[in-house]
This record gives sequence, structure tokens and C-alpha cells, in this order.
Amino acid sequence: MPEIVLKNVTKRWKKFVGVDHLNLSIPDRAFITLLGPSGCGKTTTLRMIAGLETPTEGEIWIGGTCVFDSVSGINIPPSKRNVGFLFQNYALWPHMTAYQNIAFGLENLKWKKNDVKARVDELASMLKIEQFLHRYPSELSGGQQQRVAIARTLAPRPQILFMDEPLSNLDAKLRLEMRTELKRLHATTNSTFVYVTHDQLEAMTLATHVCLLKEGVVQQYDSPLKVYAHPSNLFVADFVGSPAMNLIAAENPKLNEDGDVDFSLKDLKMHFVPNNPIEKMPEHLTIGIRPENIRIVAEGKGPVSKIYSSLPSGMETTVRLDLDGTILTSVVFGIIDFPIGGEVPLNFFGKGILAFDSTTGRLIGEGVLKI
Amino acid sequence: MKQEARNNGLSRSRRSWNNVLSYLRQPAHIILIVFAVFLTLSVLLPLLSLLRDSLTIHIGGEATEYGLSVGSWTFVHWFQLLFNSEYNYSIICFWKPLLNSTLMALVACLVAVGFGGALAWLVTRTNLPFKKFISIVFVFPYIMPSWSIAMFWENFFKNSTVAAAYNQVGMLEAITHITVPEWCVYGFFPCAMCLGIHYAPFAYILIGGVLRNMDANLEEAATILKASRFKILRKITLPIVKPAIVSTILLVFASSISSYTVPAFLNKNGSFATISITMTSLLNQSTTKGMGYALAIVLLLLSVVILAINSYITSRRSSFTTVTGKSGQVSLINLKKKRYVIGTIAVIIVGFFAIVPLFSFAFESLLAIPGSISSFTWYYWITPDQIETRVAGDSCGILRNATIWKAIGGSLLLSTIVALVAGTSGILIGYAVSHKRGSRFANYVSNLAFFPYLIPSLSFGAIYFAISYMNGFSWLHGTMFLLIIVGSIKFLPFASKTGTNAMLQVSGEIEEAAIIEGIPWWKRMVRILFPIQKSSFISGYLLPFTSCMRELTLFVLIAGAGSIITVVLQNFEISGVTQISNGINLIIILIVIGVNLLVNKVTGASIDKGIGG
Repeated sequence: MPEIVLKNVTKRWKKFVGVDHLNLSIPDRAFITLLGPSGCGKTTTLRMIAGLETPTEGEIWIGGTCVFDSVSGINIPPSKRNVGFLFQNYALWPHMTAYQNIAFGLENLKWKKNDVKARVDELASMLKIEQFLHRYPSELSGGQQQRVAIARTLAPRPQILFMDEPLSNLDAKLRLEMRTELKRLHATTNSTFVYVTHDQLEAMTLATHVCLLKEGVVQQYDSPLKVYAHPSNLFVADFVGSPAMNLIAAENPKLNEDGDVDFSLKDLKMHFVPNNPIEKMPEHLTIGIRPENIRIVAEGKGPVSKIYSSLPSGMETTVRLDLDGTILTSVVFGIIDFPIGGEVPLNFFGKGILAFDSTTGRLIGEGVLKI
Repeated sequence: MKQEARNNGLSRSRRSWNNVLSYLRQPAHIILIVFAVFLTLSVLLPLLSLLRDSLTIHIGGEATEYGLSVGSWTFVHWFQLLFNSEYNYSIICFWKPLLNSTLMALVACLVAVGFGGALAWLVTRTNLPFKKFISIVFVFPYIMPSWSIAMFWENFFKNSTVAAAYNQVGMLEAITHITVPEWCVYGFFPCAMCLGIHYAPFAYILIGGVLRNMDANLEEAATILKASRFKILRKITLPIVKPAIVSTILLVFASSISSYTVPAFLNKNGSFATISITMTSLLNQSTTKGMGYALAIVLLLLSVVILAINSYITSRRSSFTTVTGKSGQVSLINLKKKRYVIGTIAVIIVGFFAIVPLFSFAFESLLAIPGSISSFTWYYWITPDQIETRVAGDSCGILRNATIWKAIGGSLLLSTIVALVAGTSGILIGYAVSHKRGSRFANYVSNLAFFPYLIPSLSFGAIYFAISYMNGFSWLHGTMFLLIIVGSIKFLPFASKTGTNAMLQVSGEIEEAAIIEGIPWWKRMVRILFPIQKSSFISGYLLPFTSCMRELTLFVLIAGAGSIITVVLQNFEISGVTQISNGINLIIILIVIGVNLLVNKVTGASIDKGIGG
């Protein structure tokens, strides 16, 4: 079964390192997303697995077959790797109609004419593009082009499907719609999906596993909710989640006799109670608090902060609170707005407050934050 | 109510005057008006006068020949040209040359597109070695005067068995003692080959430009869908570059069919009459001027038809102009072991036609007896003797020859002025057309500016040749001013194309930001728009300069004997002093290549950008 394994895969262009000793194992029928800021090597990784790019070093295995090995010189061409690839700009052939685009791959497989037609019609009705089949790509809208591209990729029933930011050229509403479609597609096709995106929301909502890359190095490879709740380092914590996590620098952090960390934030004395004992106390500490862990409370239940800004969206309102010079983001559910400059008390809730080593960025503990 | 009252308060004429003023307040409108008037006068009217010239009796022998009075209207020229069966006159003067020219142009297209296109594909799509060398040097044959390859061909292949070459020994015979038959030296085959090689870089630049801009994902998508390499080339790559290939074929065809210089050099045995050669000889005889003009119109119509086909093909439903995409990550086809073999072959072929000619010209100018190394001499460069008295002006050694150096000065002056006029006009037209894109007036000007490309050089020269004989315009005859006008108009098309493309790439907001700040128009042009697209605009100057410096066909009818260097070169060639004509050719090529490389180094502009790569 098509499990994909990457061992020590490295890609260098002269001195620039695109992907650095990447080890990754993608289970069969998974939907994994390669997530990261632009230029982090995610597209390169995808293209290397597909065979469009040759790694400088390493091994790539697909379904138990070695498709690339820099040591023994194996390099199976992309056409023999049985994969599908959906390009960011769709790469539809401008001189062929939608029908011809979709049928091309099947013709290469020497399918019979009737079978080709049946398969194209099947895909067309699934993706609702029946009435566009005779049109040229330049006569289609962005969303229609995208659906033709998906149909073309799916036509030969690839067991592995690579997608390179396929939704980035669509408008917000269509993107949401296509996300639903892709997730349903994954459920119905029994294929392994590898999906590249820089949109963390897309990665979170679609994938069974998220692989977060930064400058060619894997930062974390876990299920989306795990990445969200237990980020392995500051980069992951900051990159995943919208609005982003509050990161505050703890002043004079000290481990007290109970195993808690005492620190101050300007004049406020705070302490962090870890769920598990902290093994080694770093010199500098950063505390990470998700917006949902900060709540506006009744008077007297917490320190008073000033409303810095309030962005109501209807379902929820993102509030920025100025706590003695530190700006904290919180989310309040419901139809509510706050006047700028108004004063509200706040407090911290939940056991998922994170503590990081500021120097290395590593997560050192999770726990409760008290004032 | 208020608005109405104000309108009524103004007289009707006052209102329309205000409309005119606000129309003229936009520089784009003024530019369009000026060029519409100028181009109508200089391109459209001369065409009409050419038509008239083909239908009237001229001063000279025509009146007695046909028994008609001078100036009277008649179809006799057309009849004589097309349907006179006496002594097969029409066949010899028209149908045979037409067939010859057409076949020559077809073969030239095949050679140019096959050779240039293959090299373009190798350079953009494979890991061919020596790419840099090839892409710099391969453009040389296009930069060189169009007859250079012809001259080189002659130098290389002429041999002791060919009487028309005065039995001179060429390079091939001198080195290998192989003598090729006469049809390999003069006539159809060498003409077609030389034109093909001359225009191969043109095909390389056009097709290479499309291949470079073509989204590599299109080919990768086919690879993933298990198409073989050959199938990808056949079903994906070729159809996508097809419009560029068709355009190249048609542009090369239009240029080749009217080429004068190459047949003029490679028809020494008189076996291969082309339309261009026939037309020149008809125009130069006093009794056949009208037929010459009629032939010029035929040539022009041929080009117009070809370019109409071009625009029909490129505007069809499944075609598209440029395909751009994320082509940063092109994975090149690995030629594996054949890599160095193919690379070496490409370098040898390119070097043979781009660099060997230079040595050949130098060599030929240094040998008193062609092909004989023992006759090596500096005589033709330094002698104070008058070598050939039939040549107008000085005929002493090149380095002492006042006529030659004056003509080089004349050519440089002409090319510089033409480049400035055509290039600047190109930018202005580009500015106006890109601003008023889609308006009928802008389309008129932009089409008119491209129209001179459709007019074969020889016909265009013939038109102005006729004008310089007209009452009231005779002061133009043989002057530098006439050459400047003709050159500027003829070389405007690519300059205006470059200018328009460059202007379209600059977003309107950039200029609008300056308008809001109240910056005057000329300052916006000089300080904002020009610097942004500097290299494109300079390319728009470079191409007219290069073309003008090496041009002969366009000027052959209208230039005075010693006015420009190409005409002087032709005089020496015709008089058989090939050492000097080779030497002059070397000087022209070195000047042109030198200027191109220098401008390229300093500004990044290049001839490819001028053509549209």
C-alpha cells in the first residue's frame, strides 16, 4: 500500500539549502499537509516526492518501492511513480478543451475511447463541470479551471495525490466550498493526499496530519489538534492559530520550592503551575497563552486592563487588551462590542498555558497561569 | 437645474471649444494626432502614389515605347508584367522570378525555424552545455548585414571550377581541395540556405521567448500523466509554441521573399532571377519603370496577405498570446551522455556561421589571389594607389580611403539619427497606445506604425525613389534627409512594438501617483516611466540602429554613391574588388557587434528584447 517514506532527503542549490535532512513517513490513506511560510521548502519536498525535482541526497520510498536513492543512483521518473499532481496555477493546457485536458492522461494509459468518455463524464458530473467540457481553459472562470484541473488529476485514479496550494487562487467563498469538497474527495477516493499550503487554517481543517516546515527543517509532525494544543516550539505556537497565540516574556523567572515558576510582568506578580515538573529551568522564559484562555471577568476577579481595540465579526469579537503596557489578544463569543479605552478586568483560564525556553524556542512545560 | 442653467449660459461653440481643450490636455491625444497625421502622410499616401506610378506613363522611354503621352493613365505596365506572352516576357520578368522567390522563401523558413527552433528548445529545455556562448554568439548572423552569410558562403565554396567566381579558390578548396558544383555556390540553394541562416536567430529569439515564458508546469503535468517525452513535445510543447512558430514562419517568409542583397550576391552566374532582382533592374531602365512599380505592389500585396494570415491564425479561439506562470522551477531534460556531443555539434554549427565569417572576411581582404595564402598582403588596407577606377570616389586602400571613412561616418550618423527618431517615436506611440488601449484611433496609429514592416524594403525604397522624382520633392533626391525619413519609418515597427509592450507592463497607478503630485508630463516620462523600463526602451533604440547600420536593400535605390558604407561596399563588390568589400564588411560587422555588446553590458538592453523575446 502506498505509504511514503522520506529518509534524510536534502535539496541544495549551490550553497542554498532548500530542504535539510528531511525524515517523514506518510501513512497510507492519510491526508497530510506540508505547512510553512513561503520559501520553507514545502513545494520542493512535494516535487521531490513526485519526481519533478531531484534531491541532492537521501532516499524516497513509495509503497515499499524505492523511487529515489542518491547512493545507488535509483531515480524513477515521475510517470512511473503512479501519482497525481495538482498544480497551484492548475497548468491546464490552453490549446485543449476541458474534455481533452481530462482525457489526456487516460489516452496515455491506452484506455478505450468509450471508457475514456465514461470516466470523463463521471468526473464532470462529480465536479459539476458537465456544461464546460467543450470550452477552452481561457473561457473558464478560476473556480471552473480548478475543478477541471482536479478532474484531470483524478481521472487515472492515482493512489497518491499531490496538491500544491490548489486553493490559493480562489476567492474566499469558493475556497471554503472547495475545502469541503476536497475533504469529501479524500474520504471517497481511498487515496493518500499530500497537500502543500501556507494557510494554517487550511492545514488545520483538512489534514489528518500536519507537517510544519521552517527553512527546510521539520518543526513538528502531528495531528492538527495536537499541533494546536501542544506545539513543540515557539515557531509552531506562533504560526498555528488565528488570532495568534499571545507570547509574553516572563521577567525574572524563578523556580520555587513547590516546582512552580514565579515571574513578573511589570508590576504584576504571576506564577505558572506546570502540569508536570519542569526538569531544567531556562534562563529566559516565554509564556504562551491562546486567546481563548484569556477571558474578560467580573469586577474584582482579575487585574484591570484597557480596551486597545475591538474587532467584532458577529459570531465572535477579537479584543486586544492593554494590561499595563502588554497587549494581549482575547476572543469573546457572541454579538458584543467594546468601546476603545474602556476598562475591563481579565483573567487566565485552562490548563493549556505553555512555557517556552526563549533562547532555544523549545516547549518546556504546560500548565496553569495564576496572578 | 443648476447644471442646465450653466450649460445654457455657455454658447454652443464655447462648449465644443472647451471639449477640444480638455481633449488636448491629455498628452496621449496630442501624440496620437501627431503620429496619425505624420504616418498617414509618410506611409499611406506614398502607397497611393506607388499605385498611381504603376498606372501612369513616366518621363523617359515609356512614352515612345507604348505610344502614349507622359502622365496618361494606363494598365499597360500591369499587362506587360503579367500577361505579355511575346518571347515569354511575362514569364521571364514575373512568373519565373515569383516562383523562384517563393520557393527560396519557403526553404529559408524551413531552415530558419528548424535550426533556430531546435536550438531554442535545446537551450531552454535541456541541460545543454555551453548555453551562454551559444545564446550570445548565435545572434551574430542576425546582427550582421544580411549579405554577410552570402558573402561568406561565396568565400567558402567558390572554387576553380566556377567561372562566374572568376575561378577563384575558396576556403573549402584551399583547405580540402574539394570543389563543389556551381549550384552549390550560386543560385537557388545557397540563396535559400543563407537567408535561412540569417533569420535562424530571429526564430531562435521568438520561439525561445515563448518557451522561456511558457509555464513548465504544463509539461510536468503531462509527465505525471504518463505521456512520453516525445508525446509531450508533440502534443503539449509544439501546439503551445505554434503561434510563435507560425508568426516566425510568416515574418521570415515576408522578409525572405523580398530579400534583395542575398540573391544579388549569389546570382553572379545570372541563373537565379528573383522578384527583387527583376524589380531593381526594371526600375533602373527608363522604359520599364512602371512595370517595376507594379512589381513592387505585387511584392507588397504578398507581404500583406502573409501578415493577414498571421493575425488570423494568432487570433483564433484556442490560441493565446503569452503564457506566463510560475516557471522558476524548470526541471531541465537530462541529455545524459549525448549532452556534450549535442553541445559540441551546436557550438560548431553556431561558431561556423557566427564567427568563422569574421575570419573569412579578414582573410579575404588580405589575399591578393583568393585562396592563395602565399599572396598574403596588406595592400588592400594600406595602398595609396587607386585600385579600380570604375568605382565612384576613392579606391585606394581601406585605411587611407577617404570615401570609405566618410561613408562609415555617414552610416553612423544616419543610424544614430534613425535610432533616436524611431526609438523615441516608438516610446511615444507606446505611451499613447497603452493609455488609449482599445480606442479606434489608437488602433489606427498602432497598425500604421507596424505597417512599414509589411512593406518590403525594396518597395519602400522604390516608393520614396519615385517621390524624389516628383515635382516639388526633387530637393529630396539623393539627400541624407531622405535616408533619415525612410530609415526612421521603416524601422519604426519593432521600436513601437517594444515601446507598447514596455508601457503596458507599467501599471497606470505609477504614473497616476505622479499626476496627483502635479508633476508635468515630460518629467513623468523622463524621470519615472523611462527609468522603470530602461532596458526595454534602449532595446527599442538598439534594434533600429543595428538594422540601419547594416541595411542596403532599403537604401539601394535612394542613396547617393558615397553616402553610406553599405552602398560603397556594394560598389566595390560589383567592380570585383572583393578584398575591399570583404574588409568593409568586416568593419561594419565589428561596429555593429561592438555596439550591441557594449550597450548590452552597460544597460542590459539587447536585440532579443527589441524583437520581443
